[in-house]
Amino acid sequence: MFGNGLIKGLRITWKEFTSKKFTVQYPEEQHTKPERFHGRFVFDADKCIACNLCANACPNNVIELKSEKVEKKKFLTKYVMNIEYCLFCGMCVEACNKDAINFSLEHDMSQYNYDAIPLILVEREAPKPEPKPEEATPEASGEKAEPKVKGKGKQKEETPAASADKSASDEVAAGKAPEKEGQ
Amino acid sequence: MLENLFTNIAGLLRNLLDSAGVPPLWNDVTLLVVKLVAILVFILINALWLVLMERKVAGYMQARIGPNRVGPWGLLQTTCDIGKLISKEIPIPKSADKILFLLAPALVFVPPLMIFAAIPFGKDMVALDLNIGLFYVFALASLTTIIFWMGGWGSNNKYSLLGSMRVVAQMVSYELPMILSVLGVIMLVGSMNLTEIIAAQQNMWFIVTQPIAFLIFFIAAVAECNRTPFDLVEGESEIINGPYTEYGGMGFAMFFLAEYASIMIISAMATTIFLGGWLAPFGLTFIPSWLWFFLKMYVLIFVVMWFRWTFPRIRVDQLMGFGWKILVPLSLANVFVTGIGMYIYRAIGW
Amino acid sequence: MLRTETYTMNFGPQHPATHGVFQVVLTLDGEKIVKAEPVCGYLHRGIEKLAESRTYQQVIPYTDRMDYLASMLQNWGYVMAVEKLMGLEVPERAEYLRVISGELSRLASHVLATGVYALDVGGFTGFLLCFRERERMMDLLEELTGSRMTFSYARFGGVADDAPEGWLEKLDKLMDDMPGYIDEYDGLITGNEIFQARTKQVGGLSPETAIDYSLSGPVLRGSGINYDLRKAKPYSIYDRFDFEVPVGKNGDCFDRYFCRVREMRQSVRIIKQAIEQIKEIDGPIKGKVPKALKPPKGDAYAEIESSKGILGFYVVSDGTNKPHRVHVRRPSFINLGYLDEMSRGWLIADLVAILGSIDIVLGEVDC
Repeated sequence: MFGNGLIKGLRITWKEFTSKKFTVQYPEEQHTKPERFHGRFVFDADKCIACNLCANACPNNVIELKSEKVEKKKFLTKYVMNIEYCLFCGMCVEACNKDAINFSLEHDMSQYNYDAIPLILVEREAPKPEPKPEEATPEASGEKAEPKVKGKGKQKEETPAASADKSASDEVAAGKAPEKEGQ
Repeated sequence: MLENLFTNIAGLLRNLLDSAGVPPLWNDVTLLVVKLVAILVFILINALWLVLMERKVAGYMQARIGPNRVGPWGLLQTTCDIGKLISKEIPIPKSADKILFLLAPALVFVPPLMIFAAIPFGKDMVALDLNIGLFYVFALASLTTIIFWMGGWGSNNKYSLLGSMRVVAQMVSYELPMILSVLGVIMLVGSMNLTEIIAAQQNMWFIVTQPIAFLIFFIAAVAECNRTPFDLVEGESEIINGPYTEYGGMGFAMFFLAEYASIMIISAMATTIFLGGWLAPFGLTFIPSWLWFFLKMYVLIFVVMWFRWTFPRIRVDQLMGFGWKILVPLSLANVFVTGIGMYIYRAIGW
Repeated sequence: MLRTETYTMNFGPQHPATHGVFQVVLTLDGEKIVKAEPVCGYLHRGIEKLAESRTYQQVIPYTDRMDYLASMLQNWGYVMAVEKLMGLEVPERAEYLRVISGELSRLASHVLATGVYALDVGGFTGFLLCFRERERMMDLLEELTGSRMTFSYARFGGVADDAPEGWLEKLDKLMDDMPGYIDEYDGLITGNEIFQARTKQVGGLSPETAIDYSLSGPVLRGSGINYDLRKAKPYSIYDRFDFEVPVGKNGDCFDRYFCRVREMRQSVRIIKQAIEQIKEIDGPIKGKVPKALKPPKGDAYAEIESSKGILGFYVVSDGTNKPHRVHVRRPSFINLGYLDEMSRGWLIADLVAILGSIDIVLGEVDC
């Protein structure tokens, strides 16, 4: 009948008015994220065999992967994700056989400057096969590497990985470490 | 003490001016100006608070809590919004009629202010005690139409024009049932003086003797101030924002605040005419009269907001049909029944 | 003699009620619509063309971006077409997961359509209350797939992941609450006299025209034609569930809207049954699929009942690992075809109601 539906509507809104609220006050309270959350990528350089499967699986060519041959093995030198093109579909994570690339729960990926957007997961020099008698080479390579290491989210893997390899690159890694902390 | 707080202040001021040797005429004028300024401040503060209240009510009805960041409980939200809007440029469309366009938001606060001068806020608390008070109020309330029309026409925008056409159509067709519904009350009281109307409700509020009139008055009044379900004028999902489409910055804010001022007016009017004004119900006279008026007004304002956050919007032809085919005949019937009732009452009673 | 003139007005592309960037060029006589010319393409991204330069796997995330309100169903449609092309088998558990996630996605889409329709006719509260429930569904889907809107959940011959621990119980709980929520919408929106006055007898669509224009989904069923692919040509495992197809009578806006509301109740029924049945089924969630996907030469067309209507994917293979051509039959786009004639003679306010009752998603219209 006329008016019934209107009163019922008023009753429902009154019920909502007095009942518990549903929203979460965001920065202070946050929902727990599920395990499978597609957040920022984390990368384990030790597990990576530079097989290029992830880069091929990506629909948008987000992954820029470079490797060098060191003693018949591929050594990953660069793993950069142009995250501005990323669809967060998870094809790369699914393609990886070695569980090297994964999602984290970190969702805040906004950057102030455009050139800070690419996610530099690995950027390092390939270790030299054997330390040569010339002392100038590690110095030079160390200097070259320095400007490349800009204040990005995830480069923590590169220092231990590089230092673990060969004695010659130890000096380079040691020289780089304090520089990084200063940033 | 509290009961006569404002009248005492006024009396004190009058005595002060008297003792300073101000002639009586000037004394009266000064007092009137003070009263009007007080009303202006009252309206503006209330409009600011009502914007926040609306957002809070909306939030609470929608499973959220509304603004809560600026100030404690979000109390300073509107103040900050207004600050932001003041600092913004008022863009004037190239093809707009500049004078009308700028005049409309400047004038939009005039009718509410003038109406409030005649409303009794409490015992002996009325700035202008007119003996045609009701007539004055309705005459001024319909002035708002012209201002909306000015804004809509001056914007030179099709959406604005459609919106302001709707304003005119809506106001014309809802003014009639509104006035006709009050006619019953006027017949009972025999006066259009608002103070006398309140005094006549000493024993029984008119909402009891004139329930249909109250319903018609309230519906027509909600339509009059363009609130949901009669907010076709704005109709944001149809004509963007109606007459205010082209307004930005403070121009928009003035229209926005004026909407709340008009809600206050209709609630105050309904309180005065049907809910006994400042009269305390059940002999609860320890609460001061102006507070009673305030409480009743706010209950009605809440109901108007409740409507807004529950109902969808009616269509323009249905609005007209409802106004002319249902409300007008109903209010005429009410006048008729009231007349017969009065006649019978007199025939039996005396 | 008073002479009136018609005028044109742009309804969109920036307009609060066009559900996205959609334009209707209106020819108006006062407020009455003389002609409504829909202009779409503002959100065109060329997904069909993009698919030609991606491998079969890589197209899946792109289908998400079409009907982003029910992307689970879009994934499913595409994956079904490729499976048909290659003759792949889908394990039973995967089928159940597809049905559950697909129906949940349909439910989420319908809840949003209901809420947005309330907003279109002016009731803001219905809109946000619907979002509350959609939020719970999104949370569940996020737990399942990791994303809130663009799921990319279906894979060729299965699904990406099994349901996490305790997920089905949580879903069951939501499905228990859902009828109560739908009753709330019925009370707040459907039963409201103003809402009914706005939608009943507005924008009528006769069954014959609906078929002639090849409309589908709730728009078709609202006109009284009982055609739901899940019943008419049961794909996947829909023949195992007991559900009804809600049908309208008059083909007006209200019937189209109310079909959706009643379909929500049916979706809840299907999910409840699926949860019961999946508990007894253990097994793989992915069939045997070669890593490098190279379908044989040929083409395949598969269609499913999406939340907006019949969603068809036509995939042509030239024997390489990339599709030669992908074409999508987008229900939103086709349902929009009758908008002009449907809205002629009605007021601007009715155009909003009519457009809302068709329930378009611009991502799908423009593709």
